[in-house]
Amino acid sequence: MREYKILFTGTVGAGKTTAIGRVSDVPPVMTDVRNSDTSIAKERTTVGLDFGELTLDNGDRVRMFGTPGQERFAFLWKILVRNALGLVVLIDNSRPDPLADLALYMSGFSEALRTIPCTVGVGRMETHPVPSLDDYAQAISGTGRVFPILSVDVRNRSDVILLLDTLLMQLEADLGGENE
Amino acid sequence: MTVSHGLSKTATALAQREARKLVDELNGVTAAVIATIDGFSVASAVTGGLDPARVAAMTSSIVAISGVVSEEARLGRQKSVIVQTESGFAVFCSVYRRDVELVINVIAGESAVLALVSYRAAQLARTLADTSPFHA
Repeated sequence: MREYKILFTGTVGAGKTTAIGRVSDVPPVMTDVRNSDTSIAKERTTVGLDFGELTLDNGDRVRMFGTPGQERFAFLWKILVRNALGLVVLIDNSRPDPLADLALYMSGFSEALRTIPCTVGVGRMETHPVPSLDDYAQAISGTGRVFPILSVDVRNRSDVILLLDTLLMQLEADLGGENE
Repeated sequence: MTVSHGLSKTATALAQREARKLVDELNGVTAAVIATIDGFSVASAVTGGLDPARVAAMTSSIVAISGVVSEEARLGRQKSVIVQTESGFAVFCSVYRRDVELVINVIAGESAVLALVSYRAAQLARTLADTSPFHA
């Protein structure tokens, strides 16, 4: 049995806590509190971390951690990404500038992204189709990287599983490459 | 970004006054920051270039994480956390008000007396909770 530590990060309100809660086999650990920032239409927000566990069909276990989204908690991003084998970045396409949001996390996790795979999940595309997935791909390639980008609704367990599968496939491919 | 911490002007002024008193009156105390539970500074008195905004965010995280530890261990509602270091300590306290939950962080060097700082931080938490407009 293998264990993977996967980190969920991304925009406030993009659904990091929801995603982890949707697939976790155990009651998730959540540190959400009342939100005081009126620019965010959200009653509660994560200020510490989220945690959940998922056992895959092959017995491997995925330990999922979630970060707070706000940049003022960037000190926690650096702590939580330690020993992570992959990163899931969730973006809310209904926000004013989702590509700038993406750039924030690409920059905040730039050191980790040199060595670990990443998958980007974009939410609310059905109501906010712009920027498109191609726009995201272009923005990411501009930083010299290539990541899978998926349109997701993290309220659906299957979408979260798809994000994790995509990430784990990259991880397997990377490990395979190292072993060759 | 607009922050609405929900604390009245009077309560904010009291918090500011009490933060300053802690730093001024207790030997070795270098900072006292009172923040919303989601990490925005409400009142602070700091020395030595500490950034109250960063301290506020960190305080919120530490209190939230220790809160889930207390919950997991079924130890009841958490009251305070103490981080002891090689050259000092930090005391974190929760302030449970009905209008807004606050967190306090008092940072002190090695010349400070832990028990005294801890007592005063807890006293400040009680004072701030007692001034809640919904306090029974």
